[in-house]
Amino acid sequence: MAFVPVADITLPVRTTATTIRSQDRARTTVKTASRRHIRVPAVVGHIVLIVVAFASIFPIYWMFATAFREPVDASAQTIFPWPLSLDSFTTVWQQIPILSMIGNTFVMALSVAACQLVIAILAAYGFSMWQFPGKNVLFLFFIGSWLVPFQVTMIPNYVLISQLGLLGTIAGVIVPNICSAFAVMLMRQHMQSFPRELIDAAHMDGRNSWGILLRVVLPNMRPALAALGIMLFIEAWNNYLWPALIFQHQSNALVQVGIRSFLGSEGDNWGAIMAASGLACLPIFLIYLFLQRYIVDGFVRSGLR
Amino acid sequence: MFVTDVRPAPAAEALSNAAGVSPTRRRRRRVPIAPYLYVLPALILLGIWIYRPLVQTFQLSFYSWNLLPTQPLTPVGLQNYVSVVSSQQLRDALVNTGIYIAAFLVFSVVLPIAIALLSRQVGGRAKTAYQAIIFVPFLVTPVAAAAVWRWLLSDSGGAIPTVLGNFGIDIGDVLRSPSGAIWAIILIVGWQMLGFGVLVVSAGIAGINPDYAHAASIDGAGGWTILRRITLPLLSPTIVFLVLMTILLSAQWTYPMIDILTQGGPSDSTTNLYYLLYQIGFQNFDAGSAGAAGTLFFIAFSLLALGLVTLSDRLSFYDN
Repeated sequence: MAFVPVADITLPVRTTATTIRSQDRARTTVKTASRRHIRVPAVVGHIVLIVVAFASIFPIYWMFATAFREPVDASAQTIFPWPLSLDSFTTVWQQIPILSMIGNTFVMALSVAACQLVIAILAAYGFSMWQFPGKNVLFLFFIGSWLVPFQVTMIPNYVLISQLGLLGTIAGVIVPNICSAFAVMLMRQHMQSFPRELIDAAHMDGRNSWGILLRVVLPNMRPALAALGIMLFIEAWNNYLWPALIFQHQSNALVQVGIRSFLGSEGDNWGAIMAASGLACLPIFLIYLFLQRYIVDGFVRSGLR
Repeated sequence: MFVTDVRPAPAAEALSNAAGVSPTRRRRRRVPIAPYLYVLPALILLGIWIYRPLVQTFQLSFYSWNLLPTQPLTPVGLQNYVSVVSSQQLRDALVNTGIYIAAFLVFSVVLPIAIALLSRQVGGRAKTAYQAIIFVPFLVTPVAAAAVWRWLLSDSGGAIPTVLGNFGIDIGDVLRSPSGAIWAIILIVGWQMLGFGVLVVSAGIAGINPDYAHAASIDGAGGWTILRRITLPLLSPTIVFLVLMTILLSAQWTYPMIDILTQGGPSDSTTNLYYLLYQIGFQNFDAGSAGAAGTLFFIAFSLLALGLVTLSDRLSFYDN
């Protein structure tokens, strides 16, 4: 910028113009310089992402590829299974009640997610709409539950479930999971950002708190509720620890335990094992396929705040 | 960070303020009953399923009991603690837990940051598509993930040993090798965690105002300086979250793989603290030792997490 003022008084307009232009030039040089340093070219980005995406998806592809191979070449290493065959699925169908396993797991996950959602909505509503004595202490109980690992509480919970006579039942899987501290905390964050004017207005209209929750808050929070609900459903579906304890012996009640026993009994029949595993994942994959945006948003937001 | 988020709520007091409008509800306004009623169900359930068992675990740690309802509990003082602390199994499990956490930090923090930074120039639909694919392993049911990887790693016809065999590398039966099994478990769980990390870090980077980097580059800062002084510090809340998440949940994520694939073996090489707890309680039927170990883990764990939260509050650099 050293060359700028030549005749500063006579040509003020032009001077400014040059200054700006030279500043622009300086900025672009800085930009290209910084691009050379940190801005990795898009091609590299594409290559990195393709490699990672391939590594991520290959095992899942391989699962389905093996499942669709003819049982005789189940251990073939060709990338594309050909000729396709449903024999492995037929084997699974004959060996284990896969449909009722998936149905049971669906009912279990749906009940868990629904209960967790309702309980979380109520608690989050209480926490986010009022100031009341003991509020922070009570909320600390929810945060603190994060520090209690599942394995530390499992023996007393197992004993209680057994006293209730729920060992080896789906109810035994559902009951200890009907409240999720995580859901409460996430829901509270959503409700805290709920526009206060709407609540005030509803109050003027003479609605009580219950009416406000049902008629004002919940209808306006549908996307957040959907995202959280789907997330809780996936979590419940994929939960392994507790079902594995409740159904300790051979059982075909839920996919988690059923496929574990199938894995033990079928040994090296990889076609059938992959077919069963593929079916166990299928409902979640279908949900992901259609509601991908909700799911990714939900999990990422839970991560960010 | 969700754990420390205690900022005043915009909607808080909305109801209690409005309630003050009508004089008949003035008493309610001072100590409202409604919020307690709303919070109560969650609180009761939390008490029954988290805090009651926590207290009972602590109580059990002073008794000897084999989990059979018909058998009596015999008080043994601190003996359970002594036997747990002096056991070789615990030391193995402790070392392995450290290895697991360190290795998972690579998959959930280091690699995602590298991937997110390298792919920053990729935008729009392509990026969304890649991320959607990378996230899929996170959704795979643990038991299916275990089955697929057992097949991929199988020494008779599995894809990975076959491909490596073509290059003259013989890895044998990894899941039965005392030195290799833990790395196989790490690979499997890491594969599941990577996508979550990438999504969270990418969202974190996307949330950083580009003006800061721009201003610094005008001041002559180079790429590395911007990365070290601006991008990473602004990303620190995200990083701290991922680190905390990895430490708190890595045991949960490894448990299914250990249980299905190795049962802690061969010769305890893949066991970790939580699998050990399961073994003490449900294989040795020693509720007392499990209680003692559980109590110790809970205390250690809480101190670690609280330390991290304090540290993160001091280190984290918020953009507001």
